[in-house]
Amino acid sequence: MKRYLLPAALFLLATLSPAMAANVKIGLMAPLTGAYASEGEDMEKLVRLLVEEKNKAGGINGAAVELVVEDDGSTPRDAGNAANRLTAKGVPVVIGTYGSAITEASQEIYAEAGIVQIATGSTSIRLTAKGFARFFRTCPRDDEQGRVAAETIARLGYKKIAILHDNSVYAKGLAEESRDRILKDGIAEIIFYDALQPNERDYSAILTKLKGINPEAILFTGYYTEAGLLLRQMAEMKWFAPMIGGDATNNVGLVEIAGPAAKGYRFISPALPEDIDTPQAKAFLAAYKAKYRSMPSSIWPVLAGDAFNVLAAAIEARGTDPEAIAAYLHRDLKDFDGLSGKISFDEKGDRVGDLYRLYEVDARGKFVLVP
Amino acid sequence: MQEFLQQLTNGLAVGGIYALIALGYTMVYGVLKLINFAHGELFALGAYLGFTLLVTLGLSDFMGGVGVVFLLLIFAMGLVAIAGYFLERVAYRPLRQSNRLAAVVSALGASIFFQNAMMLVYGTKALVYPGGILPSVVVSVLGVEIPLIRILIFASSVLLMCLLFWFIHHTRTGAAVRAVSLDQGAARLMGINVNRIISLIFLIGPALGAAAGVMVGLLYGQIRYDMGVGYGLKAFTAAILGGIGNIPGAMAGGILLGVIEALGAAYISIAWKDAIAFFTLILILIFRPTGLLGERVADKV
Repeated sequence: MKRYLLPAALFLLATLSPAMAANVKIGLMAPLTGAYASEGEDMEKLVRLLVEEKNKAGGINGAAVELVVEDDGSTPRDAGNAANRLTAKGVPVVIGTYGSAITEASQEIYAEAGIVQIATGSTSIRLTAKGFARFFRTCPRDDEQGRVAAETIARLGYKKIAILHDNSVYAKGLAEESRDRILKDGIAEIIFYDALQPNERDYSAILTKLKGINPEAILFTGYYTEAGLLLRQMAEMKWFAPMIGGDATNNVGLVEIAGPAAKGYRFISPALPEDIDTPQAKAFLAAYKAKYRSMPSSIWPVLAGDAFNVLAAAIEARGTDPEAIAAYLHRDLKDFDGLSGKISFDEKGDRVGDLYRLYEVDARGKFVLVP
Repeated sequence: MQEFLQQLTNGLAVGGIYALIALGYTMVYGVLKLINFAHGELFALGAYLGFTLLVTLGLSDFMGGVGVVFLLLIFAMGLVAIAGYFLERVAYRPLRQSNRLAAVVSALGASIFFQNAMMLVYGTKALVYPGGILPSVVVSVLGVEIPLIRILIFASSVLLMCLLFWFIHHTRTGAAVRAVSLDQGAARLMGINVNRIISLIFLIGPALGAAAGVMVGLLYGQIRYDMGVGYGLKAFTAAILGGIGNIPGAMAGGILLGVIEALGAAYISIAWKDAIAFFTLILILIFRPTGLLGERVADKV
């Protein structure tokens, strides 16, 4: 009789286990390699820490959270593969990703699989204009940023502006939005509008040309690497025109590349985590610092963390059915206290609220809020 | 006119860097008829080794100025030359008798290996050379303002190229290199150790690439593990432009490509800079299929 005991026990266990709480799977699609690899690395670190904390506190409704990470390679092509892998692994929800063009390549795949997707750094307008019912984003939209950029230029009183972008979906969108606003409201004259080639190091040809045109200020809508190189090479030429950037330049890497030339550089961006005055944000950043001995290098990993926070809240309230989660995020989640401020979504899945602030780099290379 | 000259000097500094990298492609092609796809990564490795000496080993704390630059160049060039030597021994020599495609695939594999190794060792974030190694001075020549560092970089790349040219054309070993690139079989019959010459090529080419890597680090400050791809493509284009397999051709092609890019950006459109450069390449190849200075018709590629 005894030898039947073990198989019987195993059988019993096997039939019982579906009834026990299974792990809650949450997908994270992030650029772990390629051009935005440094953002992706921090995204993963930050979300992993949140998952750890959640699991230590007992998980979501008693079920442990399992983070499934896939690399989008910073390219639309790899993003499609990553989306397919996450879909195959059966995640109900996905956080990610950073670049707009890359998110765009994955939207269709997630929509077809019925997965809830929360993009974290993809600010391009058209992502939420396609009518995907389960697509959200924790970052603001480029038209909002374009509006703030135009207002900022009006406030600073520049009358002759040069606009430079890098032909990426994001930078071009923001450049167009800002240009249209500036022209419509008659804020300033745009005497130069062109794109540079990202991932190149030498921008002396462009800067020489710009210097000849002599704008009062340059609005650069691309990423921090290029912004840093532009500032450095401007200083090398001994030309110090004020430069204003968009939120993709919110990264300490900018100061590292530009060195002392970064002083006085201004950019608009969602508020930095240090400037969010909620106890949760402060506690979490302290934990992050304790674990990784550094702060998140930009705002974007923080927005990935907020995507996790709202998803955890939705699953806690409604379970893991994507339809229910999407409905909860659309209608029931109001003024959720996130790491980047209050979070609510509108019917299109866009984040609502006034998020943008103006920052300036001070002499020590710190990002300081301009009141 | 002043702006034209200014743009010309902008193009020359970039062109000098392209030319140094292009030499590595062209020398290997001249001797082995192989495109060494890992060459761009060796260039990036040079930039990273320079960073290691400067920051990790703390050289920048002890001294500054031209002496540091000289030490950096020697250090990076030496180590990358060794890497190039082993690359040839491990990835190319065992395949020398096999199908040429096998060697190309091996080259691509080596390129991926080096790139990922650098990513794992140095991380995905861009690293930054400390500032102030060379004084930030602007020199005014005929009303054209040129940062001193650009002059130094262009001068050192020209110097290295002159040394190479002298070596290839005025030494016995240089003559052996030329003989091997003409006909390996005949060179062997004349008593030239072909394997040693090929090893030598894989010491010199990567060393020049490493020098270019250090220069990029000094000039732009910022280096990244995947920088070899972009520069490799441009330098490869420069080698084709000048006539691949031809050493003066690579020098001329590199400098010309840099200048075309700068002038294209200045007078046509910045966003179309690369398109202009590649369009020029196509034009030149239509009228001179072997490149500007290429004489021998490239057989099977």
